Amino acid sequence: MIEFIKHIGTYPTSLLTVIFSNIFLIIGFSIGKFALAKWENAVKFFAVFSVIMSFLIAVYFIGIIWFLIHSLTTGNSLQGAVFLIFLFLPFIIGYFASYKKIQMYSDIQILTLVISLVVAMSFM
Amino acid sequence: MTEKLNFQLKHENCKRAVLLFHGMTGSPFEMKKIGRALFDADYDAYCYCLPGHGTSPISIKEVKWEDWYHDSEKHYLELKEKYEEVFLGGLCMGAVLALCIAMKHPEVKGILGLSTTLYLDGWTIPWYNFLMPIGLHTILRYYYSFPEREPYGLKNEALRKKIAALQKKNTVALDNYPMSCIYELLKMSGLARRHMSQVHTPVLLIHSKEDDLTSSKSADFVYKHISSEIKEYIKLENSYHLVVMDNEREFVFAKCIGFLNKLSNYNISPKTEVAV
Repeated sequence: MIEFIKHIGTYPTSLLTVIFSNIFLIIGFSIGKFALAKWENAVKFFAVFSVIMSFLIAVYFIGIIWFLIHSLTTGNSLQGAVFLIFLFLPFIIGYFASYKKIQMYSDIQILTLVISLVVAMSFM
Repeated sequence: MTEKLNFQLKHENCKRAVLLFHGMTGSPFEMKKIGRALFDADYDAYCYCLPGHGTSPISIKEVKWEDWYHDSEKHYLELKEKYEEVFLGGLCMGAVLALCIAMKHPEVKGILGLSTTLYLDGWTIPWYNFLMPIGLHTILRYYYSFPEREPYGLKNEALRKKIAALQKKNTVALDNYPMSCIYELLKMSGLARRHMSQVHTPVLLIHSKEDDLTSSKSADFVYKHISSEIKEYIKLENSYHLVVMDNEREFVFAKCIGFLNKLSNYNISPKTEVAV
């Protein structure tokens, strides 16, 4: 376990930030999608949920920008450029989303996060 | 169900009418008192439930600001056919709607802008508001609802209890602001801000200094940027957001009637102003 933590510690903090926020976002959106289908009118739950998710998205964005700067300074600008796409995806999905198709757009959002996680892990 | 909430207060052969627009997540219920006051001052008063309002909390999440605008414009055009003079009046989002209609229809006789909401920056807006852009522009806007909380737009405590009880039943107004609704309001407000100089209609702005939902920055902006030659701005000292229901409602009604009387050519006792 300690070896594993030491191994993880060798990776850039920015990349780790992206990976961990990504994992939490996938879990969060999966819970949210399920909760929205079951308890649509649970206003207080969704209020807390959305604040936490907004915070996680903010951390995710910061992680991506941080990683972009890191990759530019280390000469891996291609890696950063790949990640830049994921910075805009939540806004693009949000732009096209509608309440009637929120389950479908939630699936798309989760899928893009899974892809982003796979891409991030491929840089490890 | 929404038809039950609408009201039309009409005199026989009246030549002037006021079309009122309620606020975001509200209903014509909140405009009833001002409607009655206008009716008593010899104006026909109309208020219709805006699309998505007055039914279930879900339906409001499915409407766009264009739906509110087109529905309101349709009602305005109907009244324009029937009356010599048509005035518009709105509370909160309703005031923004009234301004948007006046941009396209400069023949509107006058506007009552009550607690005009161009910015959501009142003192009850929560500390985590800085995260709002993320919530607004991602799919989270369909998840989040900003729970309505004390003081419910009212400084009058007795009235606050009454309204809180009604809001919990979601009958006359929702007990929360869905973020998708806020998103649509802010889109419409942004558009209104960009085209504010196209308003040439006389405008009366009434805004509370202690508005809990939107600070007087919104009304200041309107007052500064409209091109109207006749414009008045009154700041209230003892009310919050729902100025048509709160402590100074009688003062608000009197000022509104006085302003409309100054513009109308059909006063029974010409150009009179109601005493406060």
